[in-house]
Amino acid sequence: MSASYLELRGIRKMFGDSTVLNDVDLSIHEGELVTLLGPSGCGKSTLLRCIAGLTEPDGGSIMMGPTNIGELPPRRREVGMVFQSYALFPNLTVYENIEYGLKMRGADKKERQSRCEELLALVDLENKKEAYPQQLSGGQQQRVALARSLAVQPKVLLLDEPLSALDAKIRKSLRTEIRDIQKRLKMTTIFVTHDQEEALTVSDRICIMNNGNIVQDGSPEELYAKPRTEFVARFMGSYNVLSREEAGRLFGVAGGSAASYALRPESVRLLPASAGEARGDRRVADGTIESISVLGNIVRYSVVSSGVKLTVDALNDGQSHRGDEGATVVLELDPSQLLALEKEGA
Amino acid sequence: MIKSRAGWSHRALMLLLMVYLLLPLAATLLYGFAKQWQTTVLPESWTFEWFSEMFRDLRFLEALWTSLYLCAISVALSLAVMLPAVFVITVYLPKWETFMKGIVVLPYAVPGVVAAVGLIRAYSGGPIDIAGTAYILIGAYFIVVLPYMYQGIRNSLITVSAVELLHSAELLGASRKRAFVTVILPNIWPGVIISTLLSFSVLFGEFVLTNMLVGGHIQTIQVYLYRRVGESGHLASAIAITYFLFILALSTVLMKLGKKMNGVAEK
Repeated sequence: MSASYLELRGIRKMFGDSTVLNDVDLSIHEGELVTLLGPSGCGKSTLLRCIAGLTEPDGGSIMMGPTNIGELPPRRREVGMVFQSYALFPNLTVYENIEYGLKMRGADKKERQSRCEELLALVDLENKKEAYPQQLSGGQQQRVALARSLAVQPKVLLLDEPLSALDAKIRKSLRTEIRDIQKRLKMTTIFVTHDQEEALTVSDRICIMNNGNIVQDGSPEELYAKPRTEFVARFMGSYNVLSREEAGRLFGVAGGSAASYALRPESVRLLPASAGEARGDRRVADGTIESISVLGNIVRYSVVSSGVKLTVDALNDGQSHRGDEGATVVLELDPSQLLALEKEGA
Repeated sequence: MIKSRAGWSHRALMLLLMVYLLLPLAATLLYGFAKQWQTTVLPESWTFEWFSEMFRDLRFLEALWTSLYLCAISVALSLAVMLPAVFVITVYLPKWETFMKGIVVLPYAVPGVVAAVGLIRAYSGGPIDIAGTAYILIGAYFIVVLPYMYQGIRNSLITVSAVELLHSAELLGASRKRAFVTVILPNIWPGVIISTLLSFSVLFGEFVLTNMLVGGHIQTIQVYLYRRVGESGHLASAIAITYFLFILALSTVLMKLGKKMNGVAEK
């Protein structure tokens, strides 16, 4: 990958007294799909709108290559954007919607036609080109919105929670489709979402945002395996977050000096009460199952051990039933899976 | 289906209501065609005299024409000012909306008589001496239709999510002006047309302000009707019926147009 393609430096935005973006730095490589992930109100959409030029930041610079696009009006920034509500033009057909940007840029008719046909094929809507947006399903509208923003060959594509208005099934297939198209076109893309599963499946890199800061960024694997703070641990999965004292009780003496620790629910093994010896350097602890919920391919147990409530995930393989609610079990804990967390904001 | 399931009591009630509402109108219609109607339930003899007298009276046609063009000018002026103004406020200056909402209900809050007296006092003499002229009437009409125009245009803008459409268009390379013309205007047009026609109907039926502001100088259809009520009840009935039919036709056009516009939008 080449040097950074889009470079954000010290982006700051206040709405009234509240800081929405707190000196955010972000650099994105060409062809990369970066996800801004965070709870609502963390500033991720505002950051996206700053890049598009729809919101003016109070400070900072946005460089695309050698150009400071922060000084340009939205239409000169060469960024495409897909909105959460799609914002298709209701008075125009699918074809005319896709053609709109090309028309505004003064492309001739022949060029417009070939480009539109190409995009209709890309999003698989050739048979709907004469339809009006309100005659399409949500998923189809979203694909038109995608085709429309790609038509003008933007340098960066911005997707603002593009799938949140769709039902679960379409959301899953469409996110794979978006990822495929992005890879095929090598389109530099920023994807905003609050759904960690979505972020994990589509991204090259994820930036987790909280309170107007990027608190951690890295590849999906990295973020999932090594959350740095409690916020990231809680947001990325159903991590057990233990205080130092709790970790001490479960694992004997806790090493290190961190204030809190994270423990992945799938790293704990549940054994029937009769099982005795721990393997290798692992520890065993007694516990009681409080509740069981089946989440499809995994079963999630809530277990209390030494006064600490733990979430334990086990593969739902149909043969290893670990006991009913109220049953006593043995927990096998691996100290090497215990992750020390940094203090928030550190 | 639902219709056929309505019980007889519902239908009777509806019928009663219709009779109650339409009877005065029917009586006016009959009176406009009656020659002799004194001691009987229905007129004893009939005539077209009143209607033909009305149409022979140049002043009637003149008054109708005056009303039409005064209303049309006022509504056109309101449209020309309000469309860009409401657009700018809704899209770029949403902070002003609270202020606008306050301003817009004022015409409802001030009674017509009070408004008329105030306007006459303010505009007779001084730098703008326009009391009794068409200008003061057009100005007053502009204020009267302000709520209808503001709400109508604003609702249309909000319904089509104008801000997002505008942003989309801008990001696709359109200038603000071009985005407004190619994307916003075609989508809010149906709503704007309806508000415009509604405003027109409201003005066409307005009497208090018109009579007080320019009653002595300009004969609008309302003023003309008021004058002739005293002369002959039959003639006034004929005028009232014609006036009513005119408004009915206008309303029908308005509704048809509304349906057609929605049809286009849903196509």
